[in-house]
Amino acid sequence: MLHGIDYFVVITYLVGIMVLGLYFARFVRSADDFFLSGRSLPFWAIGMSIVVSDIGAMDFVAVSGQAYRYGIAVGNFDWLGSVPAMLLAAFIFIPYFWKAGLYTIPEYLGRRYNDYVRTVASLTWIIFFAFDLGVIFWATAVMLQPLMGWPPWFSILLTVVVVGLYTYFGGLIADVMTDVVQMIIMFVGGATVVFLGLYHVGGWHALVEKITAMGQGYESHFKLIQPTDTNTPYPWTGILFGLTFVMANAYMIGNQAIVQRCLAAKNVWHAKASMITGAFFKMFIPILILFPGLIALAVHPGLEDGDQAMPTLIRSLLPPGLSGLLFAAFLASLMSNVDSIVNSTATLWTKDIYQKFIRKDASDRHYLAVGRYATAVLLIFGVITAPVSNLFPGIYVAIQTFLSFFQGPVFSVLLLGMFWRRATQWGGLAGVTGGIAVSALLYLLDYLLEGRLFAIEDPFLYVSWWSFVAGVLLTVVVSLMTRPHPDDRLSGLVYGLRRDHTGDSHEAVTC
Amino acid sequence: MLSFDWFKSLLNFHWLAGVPLAVAQALFLVLFVVIGLLVLTIPRSHIYEGVERPRWWHNLKLWALGVLLMIFVTYCLF
Repeated sequence: MLHGIDYFVVITYLVGIMVLGLYFARFVRSADDFFLSGRSLPFWAIGMSIVVSDIGAMDFVAVSGQAYRYGIAVGNFDWLGSVPAMLLAAFIFIPYFWKAGLYTIPEYLGRRYNDYVRTVASLTWIIFFAFDLGVIFWATAVMLQPLMGWPPWFSILLTVVVVGLYTYFGGLIADVMTDVVQMIIMFVGGATVVFLGLYHVGGWHALVEKITAMGQGYESHFKLIQPTDTNTPYPWTGILFGLTFVMANAYMIGNQAIVQRCLAAKNVWHAKASMITGAFFKMFIPILILFPGLIALAVHPGLEDGDQAMPTLIRSLLPPGLSGLLFAAFLASLMSNVDSIVNSTATLWTKDIYQKFIRKDASDRHYLAVGRYATAVLLIFGVITAPVSNLFPGIYVAIQTFLSFFQGPVFSVLLLGMFWRRATQWGGLAGVTGGIAVSALLYLLDYLLEGRLFAIEDPFLYVSWWSFVAGVLLTVVVSLMTRPHPDDRLSGLVYGLRRDHTGDSHEAVTC
Repeated sequence: MLSFDWFKSLLNFHWLAGVPLAVAQALFLVLFVVIGLLVLTIPRSHIYEGVERPRWWHNLKLWALGVLLMIFVTYCLF
């Protein structure tokens, strides 16, 4: 439960974030300002925003819980699952997207393939984000309830009011600039727990000694690379093929919530630098959210539920005032997560669906209004669907699993679209839809076989890889059977094929 | 006729079970080195694109190599 000083810290944080977000609303005068900040953002703000957009409050509890159970192997998701993909994005994909003047990733797929591919990709993301919002609201509010003593509806409404106000009026620039502050708070709050915890345990070496001395089963707690027959959900094969090659790239290159920030960079150098800055900060995330799980294992061994690691540590370790700082960090990660989802979904809806199919040639002011209405509708939808999550146990895992349905297939067409000029519109459509069908089929088979198809409990890493492979094969086969696009249509959209001033395309070493 | 066990083995990468863990760890380190080498081959014009007066700290290759060094050391240690 919170003390008076903790309430002071949390309330100061909430008011400060809202005032900061609303301050940036004054810069929003057009749809371009709302969705892309008028392409004015510096690399450091985007880099920091990418990092916090990716980390939710649930991650503090869930990742430390996984670290408590399985050790540091869960850190692969922030290290291998980010750095290589962010460098690939920085040097190859982001410059093309930025120079093409895109608002959304499906927009690239539309130009490269056709409107069917664009619409399938966009609707899939919109549906995912819309339902994810309610699930995140509910899961986080339930998690915060025993820690902060707030009923779930109070946490949800508080988040909606604060995030809703600055996102509705300030759009992307308010999201990114508040994210900068949210990241600092997250880092300070997380680092405080780690430093106090390590001091309590007796330092890093004492922590390692205590855990490895717990006997068999704890020997591999400090190994990032796990064997194929590991008891953890992270065999190295899944980490290499599913995470490093597919999920990480799909997330950093194909996720609207991440890439939209880079598209708002003030120039192409800032766009590239923002991804590398994000990769740098990402290197520290496992220390903040994973180490508390290890410290809790050393201090409180034998917890029945690993997800209690972080809450138990907070109760036993943090004095009044610092608890408030950590709760502010939790709220910061929740809000940065929510504002990214809301703004990127409003962009997908306005640009890929509304402007494309409902009203084509409206004024800029009209699209700005549509973006704002979409923001409000999404938040209301999130609030309405949040309690429904309670009726479906395991829905948080289910909705995250749904991500693996389409990440592999969408990345397969993005990759082939960028590097293989022979990929055709029907090949792309077959790759996306067929890949998603393969994902669904694999999960269905595993369900019918009562979990005997895959050797690991939660097989999303393997499903991502195989649906990616299916997406690639289908795209290649169908492309070879259908008529290729002329080069002039592909200029500026395929690596090595750039648009010159006359509008003709020609070969180039780089973009 | 493909058997279920063959299909399951394929899906779960059991055909890579014989690879020693040390080799697997080396694979990840090689991946970082390969990415680093690819970064080094990026043309200068691509690195400084968008910068009016390039300075040494605008060199994004240095940034990328710095991050790669951090992750390389992390995977060497653990």
